Amino acid sequence: MNNDPFIKIENLNFAYGSGDEMSRPILKNINLTVEKGSFVAVLGHNGSGKSTLAKLLNMIESPVSGKITIAGMDITDPEMTEEMMIEIRRKIGMVFQDPDDQLVATIVEEDVAFGPENLGIEPKEIRRRVDEALKTVGMEQYATHAPHQLSGGQKQRIAIAGIIAMMPECIIFDESTAMLDPTGRKDVMDTILRLNKEHGITVMTITHNMEEAVYADRVIVINEGEIVLDGTPKEVFGNVEKLHSFGLDVPQVTELFYELNLSKCRLPSDVLTEKEGADVIARMVL
Amino acid sequence: MSKLSLENVTYRYSVGTPFCKTALDGVSVSFEENRVIGLIGHTGCGKSTLVQMLNGLLKPTEGRVFLDGKDIWENPKEISAVRYRVGLVFQYPEYQLFEETVRQDIAFGPTNMGLPQEEIDRRVEEAALFVGLEKETFDQSPFELSGGQKRRVAIAGVIAMGPEVLILDEPAAGLDPMGREEILGGVRSFQKEKKSTVIIVSHSMEDMASYADELVVMDHGKVARTGSCRDIFSDRDSLLGYGLDVPQITRFLIELNALGVPVRTDLFTVEDVRKELLRLYPSLAKGGKR
Repeated sequence: MNNDPFIKIENLNFAYGSGDEMSRPILKNINLTVEKGSFVAVLGHNGSGKSTLAKLLNMIESPVSGKITIAGMDITDPEMTEEMMIEIRRKIGMVFQDPDDQLVATIVEEDVAFGPENLGIEPKEIRRRVDEALKTVGMEQYATHAPHQLSGGQKQRIAIAGIIAMMPECIIFDESTAMLDPTGRKDVMDTILRLNKEHGITVMTITHNMEEAVYADRVIVINEGEIVLDGTPKEVFGNVEKLHSFGLDVPQVTELFYELNLSKCRLPSDVLTEKEGADVIARMVL
Repeated sequence: MSKLSLENVTYRYSVGTPFCKTALDGVSVSFEENRVIGLIGHTGCGKSTLVQMLNGLLKPTEGRVFLDGKDIWENPKEISAVRYRVGLVFQYPEYQLFEETVRQDIAFGPTNMGLPQEEIDRRVEEAALFVGLEKETFDQSPFELSGGQKRRVAIAGVIAMGPEVLILDEPAAGLDPMGREEILGGVRSFQKEKKSTVIIVSHSMEDMASYADELVVMDHGKVARTGSCRDIFSDRDSLLGYGLDVPQITRFLIELNALGVPVRTDLFTVEDVRKELLRLYPSLAKGGKR
């Protein structure tokens, strides 16, 4: 990770509609910098504004006021050319919750090839990228299957492969594991981590799964359109009561330690994984 | 007694094409009355196909489905009666809302059943109460509501039909923790009050540990195991083999056990683990023996 900001958001405000028809504010005065190569998890209850934030980054929505800069380009500039837009969409890939909204072709490998084909990449390189991407998500044996015959979780991995094949600098995952089983979720999480740590891709995950957020370098909590917590997983998940008040949970082990502390134990409040938790308790009782 | 059961059911998609795929392979399973049953299994294991068998949306390629001991396909013309008795809430049911108001949407099923207006009103209000929908929303368009509220409207619509068996396919997927608790808690209280049979398809082992009385584990088109949460979650190795796992809090106990702390590993909720730790080590509450 270096310190170049990949995403820079300044004084961002957003509401749906326009003029008198404007809805209540969805995002209020957001300021946020995401460094190149970092892994940021965004948490917030349904309707908190976190998905809207992702849509703004991908230019699916445009802000009421404020500025978003991605890799040095101002994406909120009304003068932006189509070339710039394509360039930015190529740099930021987005994986959504429901894979059925994202699959376009009738054969898995054609679906994965769709993105790179549109970028005008040469066929030989597309072949290589498609194979590589399918391998990364563990779906290489389904290359010639029809996507509609796959299960929801398998489809999601195909959708992710389609994004990986475009080799973006940043991928935003909008609740992309919500429909997966524990193994599928773990496979996708391992994939995300590998993309971040080994390929240096900047990752933003929007999730309700607190155990997933633990893997991030940084956790941001959005409540009623505002950033209310921002720090390392340990710093953020230590605030159990605050998170509960925002309608969020903490990992089960963190919750256990919090509850034990209510019963007059004196345990650390920032234990996140089962392994850490077991070490702490074992040290105390053995 | 057995409310719903499958006897040797096999289902194949796209029979007669090169894409023929066996989704269910000789499944025999019985769902008992008056309880919440969790249906778990990795993606693609056949869970969604199985639930569509249970209310006659799909017809078995081979085998039979029984409701109260009667073969539901004995007279195919009467299959719609089965669909009133066995209510199915699909994944992401909020996409299926279409009426102008929340009240009309919830009333759609009971209206089609030809119930008198008074009874329809009573059922709409009762169903809304179970899923925690405020009365103020009744005259709003369902499309103005948040995702979590829309889902409640959709679930209330099925509950309002007064099903003897309620099946929900991933009812809490994509909801925040509070939304999950409200919906699953609502379903749980519906089950208790009506003494009905509720089947929940879920990928969340934590939710199942809190809300299910029994579990049915599926793997590659077959029923791999059935039993209580304790039976199923006590055997982590098998679960891993099925692409599943135990709740995080149970993994914590397993870790602790491996470090030489003699705790039991067959507890599945944070509350049970808290009690067990304090019972075994009251000294923890005094800061441990440091």
